[in-house]
Amino acid sequence: MAENADFESLVATYYAPLYQFAFSMTRDEADACDLTQQTFCIWANKGHQLRDRSKVKTWLFTTLHREFLSLRRKQSRASHIELDQASAELPVVLPSSVNQLDTQSLMSALDCMEETFQAPVALFYLQDYSYQEIAEILEVPLGTVKSRLARGLSRLYEMLTDPKSQKS
Amino acid sequence: MNPAEARSILQLYRPGTDDALDPQIAAALALARQDSELARWLAEHCDRQITLRNKFRQIAGPPALKEQIISEQAAANRSQSVKRRLAALAAAVSVLILLLEIPWHRPAPPTDTLEVFQHAMMGVALRGYGMDLTTNNLPQIRSFLAQKQAPADFQLSDTLKHATINGCAVESWQATKVSMICFHTPKSADQNNLWLFVVDQGVIRKGNLTSSPAVQTIHQLITATWVKDGKLYLLGTQGSEVDIRPYL
Repeated sequence: MAENADFESLVATYYAPLYQFAFSMTRDEADACDLTQQTFCIWANKGHQLRDRSKVKTWLFTTLHREFLSLRRKQSRASHIELDQASAELPVVLPSSVNQLDTQSLMSALDCMEETFQAPVALFYLQDYSYQEIAEILEVPLGTVKSRLARGLSRLYEMLTDPKSQKS
Repeated sequence: MNPAEARSILQLYRPGTDDALDPQIAAALALARQDSELARWLAEHCDRQITLRNKFRQIAGPPALKEQIISEQAAANRSQSVKRRLAALAAAVSVLILLLEIPWHRPAPPTDTLEVFQHAMMGVALRGYGMDLTTNNLPQIRSFLAQKQAPADFQLSDTLKHATINGCAVESWQATKVSMICFHTPKSADQNNLWLFVVDQGVIRKGNLTSSPAVQTIHQLITATWVKDGKLYLLGTQGSEVDIRPYL
């Protein structure tokens, strides 16, 4: 019973940010739900191996990212087609209208970014993670995270302020 | 650090977070406080960061996702619990089967002992049997038994020599032929109330074999057992020791 209660508490705390992270990368509700659920399923089976309980959040995000990479490898062919379709449907974002952006437009802009920038940028905004924590989650060096963030954010601003660049 | 370098560094700055603790960002922020142009850019940057952060956090998952995750995991746990119980049950059954099989793997009790022979032959006498040869002619009986490769050169006591013979039969014990000679005693109305079994002594692997007749009750019959010249003799009849003694 205690284990069930712990699990429910964990889900209640983290399912929303995990889903947001998953959706930021997949831009697909079903895939994001699957990734989120799969992450908690892995936790239910392997979470007891985590000794430092303060790392639960990082562990969950790392696991979800791994699952995403695995999913992307399996769906690489289909994903490329979807990206092409999404590029053609990108909304026009006026330079001064960042505040008028809706989440869908933001996701579409994120969709047009190189894949290596998407996860760092999403974590950067979603969870206020430090650069070191983002590096741990994505399992890349700190310098790589900073580099990808700098380029990813620059690319995101460029796309949000210059709609033409979204299709380039 | 010049304003251009500071702007580049502050691209990664998020207001309201621990980013300001980073030494490079802290230095860039300090420069922004002294440079009005940089300060203006920083203010715009912070507004944009806050807006983007809010937009990202507006991503809403399906309302039922949490309940779905919890309920499906609970179902999976129940399934695993059932599987674990079945596995435990299977293990217990295996152990039980093993324990039950142990007695079967124990060495079987010897079946070639005198005691077993005595009980087997008295069982034959009591259960009834088919007479292979019905005659009161002793030489004819010996000849018949010899033909059947059963002991035929047995020795009879004087009393048995004069007793009325009803016939004989060949029994088998431990794949060895046993001669059974049936006598009639005048004391009883029963025609076949005295049985003499003869078998090669070597067939009996274990038992107290003596040349003098050992009298004992087996299956409610009084019996006498002895060995002579390589043969085991077992005589049985109804009654008590006084009934069998005259025939020894």
